[in-house]
Amino acid sequence: MMTPHLNRIYLGAAIVFAIIYLFPLYWMYVTALKSGSEIFAYPPTFIPKDPQWGVFSHVWEVRGMGRFIWNSLVIATGTMILVAGLGTGCSYVLARYRNIWIDVALFLVLMLQVLPASLMITPLFVGFSAVGLLDYPRFAVILAVTAKAMPFFVILVRATFMAVPAELEEAALVDGNSRVGAFVSVVLPLARNGVLVSAILIFMQAFGEFVYSKSIIQDVNLQPASVGLNAFMGPNTVEWNNIMAYATIYVTPILAAFVLLQQRIVAGLTSGALK
Amino acid sequence: MKRIRSSIIDGVGFDLVLVGIPLVFLLLFSGLPLVYNVLMSFQEVDLFSLGEVFRPFVGLKNYRALFAQPEFWPIMWNTVIFVFCSIGGQFIVGFGLAVFFNTGFRGSTFIRGLFLVSWVMPGLVVGATWNWILAGDFGVLNYLLSSIGVISENIFWRSDINYSLWAVIITNIWLGTAFNMILLSVGLAGIPKDLYEAASLDGATAFQKFWTITVPMMRSTTGAVISLGLIFTLQQFDLFAAITGGGPANSSNVAQYWAWELSFRQYDFARGATISTIMIAVVMVASVFYVRSTRHEVRG
Repeated sequence: MMTPHLNRIYLGAAIVFAIIYLFPLYWMYVTALKSGSEIFAYPPTFIPKDPQWGVFSHVWEVRGMGRFIWNSLVIATGTMILVAGLGTGCSYVLARYRNIWIDVALFLVLMLQVLPASLMITPLFVGFSAVGLLDYPRFAVILAVTAKAMPFFVILVRATFMAVPAELEEAALVDGNSRVGAFVSVVLPLARNGVLVSAILIFMQAFGEFVYSKSIIQDVNLQPASVGLNAFMGPNTVEWNNIMAYATIYVTPILAAFVLLQQRIVAGLTSGALK
Repeated sequence: MKRIRSSIIDGVGFDLVLVGIPLVFLLLFSGLPLVYNVLMSFQEVDLFSLGEVFRPFVGLKNYRALFAQPEFWPIMWNTVIFVFCSIGGQFIVGFGLAVFFNTGFRGSTFIRGLFLVSWVMPGLVVGATWNWILAGDFGVLNYLLSSIGVISENIFWRSDINYSLWAVIITNIWLGTAFNMILLSVGLAGIPKDLYEAASLDGATAFQKFWTITVPMMRSTTGAVISLGLIFTLQQFDLFAAITGGGPANSSNVAQYWAWELSFRQYDFARGATISTIMIAVVMVASVFYVRSTRHEVRG
């Protein structure tokens, strides 16, 4: 195909592109490690002269990040469970049949996927306040984020179920399984990877969610890390090293999970997103 | 009762339950708010009547009041610029990278995947990082631009009304490029290789091959990616909250951020609902284009 020499040139160019593209991420990490005076040095230093490793525990304590991260985890976990619990069966049915009703349901799901959160929050907030859900703000956020994220999950997981041969399920039915039995013991295990990767994507999305949490959760003790980060960035702030340390703590677990699962996530996206 | 139960375990009822519960959930938490939103845009809403469903109807008063606000047209124009430039930038850079990575050198899939980190990062973190990169006096972008001689004095990206919208657009292009690239890569991978081989045998140059094979073969993918880009760009909120807050003086405000500001900063839920209704109609039109351009694939 490609000569080794040409391959090396392309690889080198690709690495240069990646370095340019990922520079903001690098800048977040190095800024976090710089001292309060070094961040204002001109010209800026690209490698911190005196890395402040203590900044992370300092910011964690001063900003009360334990509470914020915990709330983010609660919201992300709740959303993931609800989305996967409701969405998996739905995508299975939407993958299994082809008729006009399935088309209608798919169209509905696609249309609901596109509604911007910042526009839907007004009616959701007023509706939630009418039925008293604002007294359970994190639960209210989970419900809202689930409604926002489920269509995306259904579209991704449906592609996975399409790849499971219908013959296998039919064989299980012939062997005397009920529909429930065939679904749980034959179809679901075969689609397990796709469902898991999509659920993790939903978790990541909900972990970074901002609009709904910012609008619905007034109590600081119940707010997630995104709202905490927003509150940290006042208009005239000079603590950029601390803000970047906050961002680093918040984003690094997500990045680590992403790098580990990178190939599966990309494969899942490319098979589902455009289909 | 028994028949219903056995149908759920072993019949059509199983399918109906699996698809029915999620659809009811979606209608309750997406469909119903949508209808409620339209209803609210025709009502008079204040903080005391917030909990009621039926409030005094005021006809088109909210719409008229909204159009009469001096910031309405500037914000709409900002929205158009934001959407148009974001999509353009994301698409052009994404397409270039997709073509580059499609050459299939060793390691291309792995490095291409790394680009997607921008897409999994929380929007607020992206916004915070770029907020610092774009800082006026100490921002690294100003330093890099002036050291290669593009600018002679620092640009105050976030506080200069001529640049504040561009600060968000630049960030949004960075954010969306990777996703565009991945989707376009799928389309590129679907073009049969023998087309290029046949063209090479006929002596076509690389540019001719790109123009006569790649571009026409990518038409349906391009349609889907652009309409998806429109949908995602109109959803962008976090970057505005994290970088400019719509300011200074609404110079970087766009419709979707304004709708939230009206409701949750000024507690004018009726006007918030009114602008939401208008924008949701725009998004719906975009999504019809999206569904149309992917319909043959949706049907499988």
